[in-house]
Amino acid sequence: MSEVRIAAERRNEFGKGAARKIRRANKVPAILYGHGTDTQHLTLPGHDLMIALRTANVLIRIQGDGVNELALPKGVQRDPLKGFIEHIDLLLVKSGEKVTVEIPITVVGDIHPDGMLDQQMVSVAVGAEATHIPTEIEVSVEGMVIGTQLTAAELTLPEGVSLVAEPEALVLHVTAKPTGAEEEAEGAEAPTAEGNGESAE
Amino acid sequence: MLIPRRVKHRKQHRPDRHGMATGGTRVVFGEFGIQAVEHSYVTNRQIEAARIAMTRHIKRGGKVWINIYPDRPLTKKPAETRMGSGKGSPEWWIANVKPGRVMFELSGVAEPVAREALRRAMHKLPMKCRFVKREVGEA
Repeated sequence: MSEVRIAAERRNEFGKGAARKIRRANKVPAILYGHGTDTQHLTLPGHDLMIALRTANVLIRIQGDGVNELALPKGVQRDPLKGFIEHIDLLLVKSGEKVTVEIPITVVGDIHPDGMLDQQMVSVAVGAEATHIPTEIEVSVEGMVIGTQLTAAELTLPEGVSLVAEPEALVLHVTAKPTGAEEEAEGAEAPTAEGNGESAE
Repeated sequence: MLIPRRVKHRKQHRPDRHGMATGGTRVVFGEFGIQAVEHSYVTNRQIEAARIAMTRHIKRGGKVWINIYPDRPLTKKPAETRMGSGKGSPEWWIANVKPGRVMFELSGVAEPVAREALRRAMHKLPMKCRFVKREVGEA
């Protein structure tokens, strides 16, 4: 995976007032840490960062203001409604270093006509070289019969990538479609609420 | 219908209707979801109506998750009663939903079917909602 270059400025003012001022200028407050180094407080351009984060586990080259580091996004805080990035934690990595990351699992192919896909795991933890992190792991459900189960150990990982998650962890299984009556009955039971701490009137 | 099996206090104060949802703001279990855009109290009857609307449309296939639970009682005094003589009796069970909260999730169906199913479910809910999809590549 190629790296994305993002220009950074150092941040000397902290707290919510300063952070809001940065956000008003369409920038994002960020911190950069890792490898036992001191935490660096940065400001990143909002639009460039948003575009970069569309790729899972994007490798970011932070440049400018005396900083020139490779980093991976560790935690992204977003506004739940508008979706803009409020803050980002970046983890320092070195080229060639092996890192543990969550890779999205993409399901391809058509499922059995009478089957229903129950995907238990949408991403899987793997160990990969920081500069060669796969963007996704494809799983084909074509030809899977009802009752088929796929565990993490059965995933086809690219070369140089090792599994970190539990090998027995269930990724997906194909179940039979529920009947209409089963679905309707799902929420039918209605036990009455009783007071525990007070006398019931 | 969803209702708590046992509660510590039968009558509670009305929950706070301010602020944004701090958790449960993303689709995590399924592929598609309904996100609240406004504050509201959602009753257990509304949750059930939305669930039925959704499951009837997707027919067989697809899995539905309900991420909210109506664990707060609301009380009501009888009509034409003079003020005083204590708090009214529990009348509804509600979930206090704040903007940003993903209330229902759905998976195992094609996007056009999911959109229509969730649109029907949204009509059963008391607040403005929107359709959301699971984000790929979120850190």
